[in-house]
Amino acid sequence: MISKPISDLDAYDAAEPRRPRLSRPDLRPTLTWILPPLVALVLLAVAVELWVRLGDVSIWLMPRPTSVIESFFVDFGRYFNEGLKTLAVSLGGLAIGTAAATLLAAGVAHSNILERAVLPIAIMVKVTPVVALIPLFIIWLGHGWNPKIAIAALITYFPVLINAIAGFRDIDPRMHDFFRSVNASTWEIFRHLRWPAAVPYLFASLKISVTLSLIGAVVAEFFLSGQGGLGAVIWIEQNSLRLEQVFASVLMLTIIGMTLSTAVVVAERLFSWRLDQPVTAS
Amino acid sequence: MIKHPIEPDAEPAVRLDQVRLTYEAKTGNQLDAVDATTLTVRAGEMTALVGPSGCGKTSLLRIIAGLTPPSDGDVTVFGQPPAVAQRHKRLGLVFQEPALLAWRSVADNIRLGLQLNPRETHSSTDIDELIEIVGLRGFERYRPSELSGGMQQRVALARALAIDPPLLLLDEPFAALDEITREQMRYELQRLWGISHDPSEPPRSAIFVTHSVPEAVAIADRVLVMSPRPGRIIADIPISTPRPRQPEHEHSDRFINDTAIVRAALRSPTTPAVPLDAA
Repeated sequence: MISKPISDLDAYDAAEPRRPRLSRPDLRPTLTWILPPLVALVLLAVAVELWVRLGDVSIWLMPRPTSVIESFFVDFGRYFNEGLKTLAVSLGGLAIGTAAATLLAAGVAHSNILERAVLPIAIMVKVTPVVALIPLFIIWLGHGWNPKIAIAALITYFPVLINAIAGFRDIDPRMHDFFRSVNASTWEIFRHLRWPAAVPYLFASLKISVTLSLIGAVVAEFFLSGQGGLGAVIWIEQNSLRLEQVFASVLMLTIIGMTLSTAVVVAERLFSWRLDQPVTAS
Repeated sequence: MIKHPIEPDAEPAVRLDQVRLTYEAKTGNQLDAVDATTLTVRAGEMTALVGPSGCGKTSLLRIIAGLTPPSDGDVTVFGQPPAVAQRHKRLGLVFQEPALLAWRSVADNIRLGLQLNPRETHSSTDIDELIEIVGLRGFERYRPSELSGGMQQRVALARALAIDPPLLLLDEPFAALDEITREQMRYELQRLWGISHDPSEPPRSAIFVTHSVPEAVAIADRVLVMSPRPGRIIADIPISTPRPRQPEHEHSDRFINDTAIVRAALRSPTTPAVPLDAA
């Protein structure tokens, strides 16, 4: 049965068989990326410090960077705990918003009628300032975590929806023909073709949504300062003009935001090609 | 080497009866892509379809594959509508571009056809053996992007063959390759065409769309020449060179003579070089 494999063609084609990747990552490029902004940040802090001290700026207007850092470390437990609450709201909203948007996008990608019905509504919600809905959400969902999570979800879902629709539709038409030629089901086409094709799109939208969800969480916490969170801390402290605490809270939010963004990038590298793990047959 | 017995009495692999395809163009005009085409492809036959660009060769192939419904006329594949052939996974498609799943390894791309619609996986082609035959041993775990164009196209060929289809539909499969690889692939296709074929199925047939005349003559048992749009089959030229054919055959008088006949048919679309009913 087996005729000989064409070795001359092999030699022609496989001129350089290479098995790339998995070498130890080189840290130097990372350093050249991190170092300049870090230095710039330190210089900026020094400049502000000098300006506040030498210009005799009132601490009611601008706290000294050193006192902000002092507050940050002295009260670290507080910022950390309140930060966890904000993080929880943000992640909860992100999870719900992303899941709902992905499901909806899967439907829209398969049906033009659904697209025409759903997309205008989605855009209507998108152009409405979500903050304006917070009082309504409080009336509907009470004063607990729910309205905050709902706001974070609402603010994240739109970029995911638009990107996921584009992703589910970004399939090679020849590939689609091949699936049809073996009578693959709509589910099989989704599972093995549309879904993996959409993964890069989903990660791109997640990079946007992850910071949006944090914005949603903080703004909602302004309104619902009773349950804490960094938004509540900022709101309460600015009422008593304690700007060190406000700035320290902002610093904690920055750290959370950077952590989340980095987590998305790392997750993308880890999972992007693994989502279509085939059932290893035969 | 496997023989490809053409069985004149068996159920034909493909039968087209007065098939037409008309598009509604954006301007609102009716555009005829395929004009009243009647054609029979016998079981075990390798048929090449040649014609100028845009003459409807690809449309015809898509109609046979059940991917585009004809505007008019009847299509049967092994005596049944193309949808039945799809359901039983009796069609092996290869396109001009390899069209592989970028996120899957070579082996998992080849396995794709077996994995989809799994209840209809009639005979289990040994994937390992197939990889060996198409010359991809050692590259099983590579991603398609790490392979050359010729190797990618061999993955696509192996993917089509993995479901052991009694009908191969090849749409200019080597057109995107460089000339050297392309000429080698002709003979590789001839070799791969008959491998590991389920004896309960009809002998494997193939329809090979190309606009290279030498390629058609080198590969096919029969060359069908299509007219410019709207496409019609204007000549049906048998190529009787025995198999297995070797690359050296391309220098023979017989080969040169056959290509001359096909070229003549392409040049004078109104006067068939060989009457249609002669075959």
